[in-house]
Amino acid sequence: MASELVEVEGHIIDSLILAKVLDVILDAGADYRMVDVDIGKTNVDASRARLEVTCDDDEALANLLEQLSIHGANRVTTADARLESCTIDGVLPAGFYSTTNLPTQVRLDGRWVDIENPEMDCAIVVRSDGRVRTEPMHRVHLGDQIVVGLDGVRVATPQRPRGANPFEFMSSEVSSEKPKELVVAQVADRMRATRADGRKILAVCGPAVIHTGAGPAIAAMVAGGWIDLLFAGNGFATHDIESNVLGTSLGVLLREGRPTEHGHANHLRVINEVRRHGSIARAVEAGFVTGGVMYECVTHGVPFVLGGSVRDDGPLPDVHANVIDAADAMRAALPGVGVALMLASTLHAIATGNLLPAGVETFCVDINQAVVTKLADRGSHQALGIVTDVGLFARELCDHLVS
Amino acid sequence: MTTLPWGRRYLMCPPVHFGVLYEINPWMHREVRVDPTKARAEWDGLVRTLRDAGAEVELLDPVEGLPDLVFTANAGVVNGRQFVPARFRHPERAGEVPHDVDWFTSRGFTVDELPDDVHHEGAGDALPFRDVLLSGYRFRSDASSHAYLSRLTGAAVRSVELVDARMYHLDLTFCPLDDRRAIVAPDGWDSYGRRVVEALVPEPLVLDVDEALSFCANSVVVDRTIVMPMCPPRVGRQLEAWGFEVAVAPVGEFLKAGGGCRCLTLALDVHLGVLA
Repeated sequence: MASELVEVEGHIIDSLILAKVLDVILDAGADYRMVDVDIGKTNVDASRARLEVTCDDDEALANLLEQLSIHGANRVTTADARLESCTIDGVLPAGFYSTTNLPTQVRLDGRWVDIENPEMDCAIVVRSDGRVRTEPMHRVHLGDQIVVGLDGVRVATPQRPRGANPFEFMSSEVSSEKPKELVVAQVADRMRATRADGRKILAVCGPAVIHTGAGPAIAAMVAGGWIDLLFAGNGFATHDIESNVLGTSLGVLLREGRPTEHGHANHLRVINEVRRHGSIARAVEAGFVTGGVMYECVTHGVPFVLGGSVRDDGPLPDVHANVIDAADAMRAALPGVGVALMLASTLHAIATGNLLPAGVETFCVDINQAVVTKLADRGSHQALGIVTDVGLFARELCDHLVS
Repeated sequence: MTTLPWGRRYLMCPPVHFGVLYEINPWMHREVRVDPTKARAEWDGLVRTLRDAGAEVELLDPVEGLPDLVFTANAGVVNGRQFVPARFRHPERAGEVPHDVDWFTSRGFTVDELPDDVHHEGAGDALPFRDVLLSGYRFRSDASSHAYLSRLTGAAVRSVELVDARMYHLDLTFCPLDDRRAIVAPDGWDSYGRRVVEALVPEPLVLDVDEALSFCANSVVVDRTIVMPMCPPRVGRQLEAWGFEVAVAPVGEFLKAGGGCRCLTLALDVHLGVLA
């Protein structure tokens, strides 16, 4: 596909020029999107329209642009993106372009080049081989060519999804008063479609998944091939292992719901033993961990990234104690993800939301509406919130997917 | 009905250096010789007819090497004391512009220019009707010039795409007669242009293609007199039925270059924005 911005102005409504321009575009088999229209208030006032014209290929676009110019619709002259060299490792030039998570293009030598990996709050690095990537601040190096200013950068506007998908049947972004069974069925459908497309499903889990008793459901989904990648923190992995080794989550017996004596130390003892084995995988191999989400991840080869935090106990040996390393590890695992399930996780959900391109369908499940809102407020507009108990949600989702 | 509020004062250029020296429209053929004596006699006849109808004629000095300077309609767009000089499509005519600008500057007109990269051939492609300026585009003028023209003059411009190369200027397809009537040649326009004019002119005198190619739309209207290069009988009858007086001023030598009576004149008393 090739597209270009054109502008036509004058008495284009009364002269039927705008109508003609649109007809010419459609007659050529091309498509347009009205970017901006300013219609004169009286018949003396001029009007102005800006359209993005899209054709199958560059040649068709060039022909169409020539035809359109006859009617006064001319290409909006756009400058190439301005580049500046990085002079210090990990420090961007002042005035660097700060990215969104939307599909973005950069104009270089008169051509629009797609950014390979849209990610919000990053800089755009133009590599010597012509490839264009986003990089977070800490990963830029001396001599990297960084896009500065707004010239020559264009961002695709998010479009309302069309067709049958769960984003369509929701009229609000956050759903607390929708029939949950229907929502769960729709999420399951999206997961099936994603897997059929060969894309990956990411689960981001908070400790409440284990506390609410949803661990076995998530474990079954991992074992059933419905989760391809897991992001979590020390707490989720610890309580998952604790619940399988000792039957408690943070000392509370999951079967009976009552605290055990000295149960407050259970998770520390589990962490300590896993540390003795050297890693979760070795603890599984040694037979110390015999079930649960982490167990299924290890035995089914599902990669996981555990990000640490300042309040972690232990932590487990697999936890990235350096948060920058954790984010980089998550970033490296993301390509190919088509659906993200954020399950009762505030911090990891937001951290993941920051890394995801806008095209990834994101379902944020939490009992607290504020978590969902927070994710959207931070720019992950593609997130659909489902306000419900994660335990009930996960079990029902599992029932849909795992027979 | 009200007669046109403009068209009583014209700029013309004597055909001292006129000839078909190049070919920039389908009518021009260099092998066809222009008879200078006959051309001068026809031009003098046109001046006389215009003056008889009550118009004033002012003169632009002819310049050697600029044969088409006689077609003053293309010099530019006049709006009160403002003059927007043409930007000619063909380099053969670009040399006319400084002479046109000199004439208007020396008479106290304000000269406002179009950008360098857009073409517009003056009143040949821009005729006022009611409260708008109808402007042609494609062969000689660019559609994008219309927005600039509107910005410079304040006029509401209606754009019409010309589609027949034999009618390469708007003034071969359109001639305002009064506040309701105009001679129109829809064969010269695309379907959008036809709809625009249809909406604009309450009582059109519609020419068929043969009548249009006789240059009868390329006429000069002075009050109730229509000065025409030739007049098909049907057209003459309609004009007379409407109360106009037809005065034929043959300009056959100029038709060899693709120009008729209107092309040889530029109305100097046009006020855009306070049109009919």
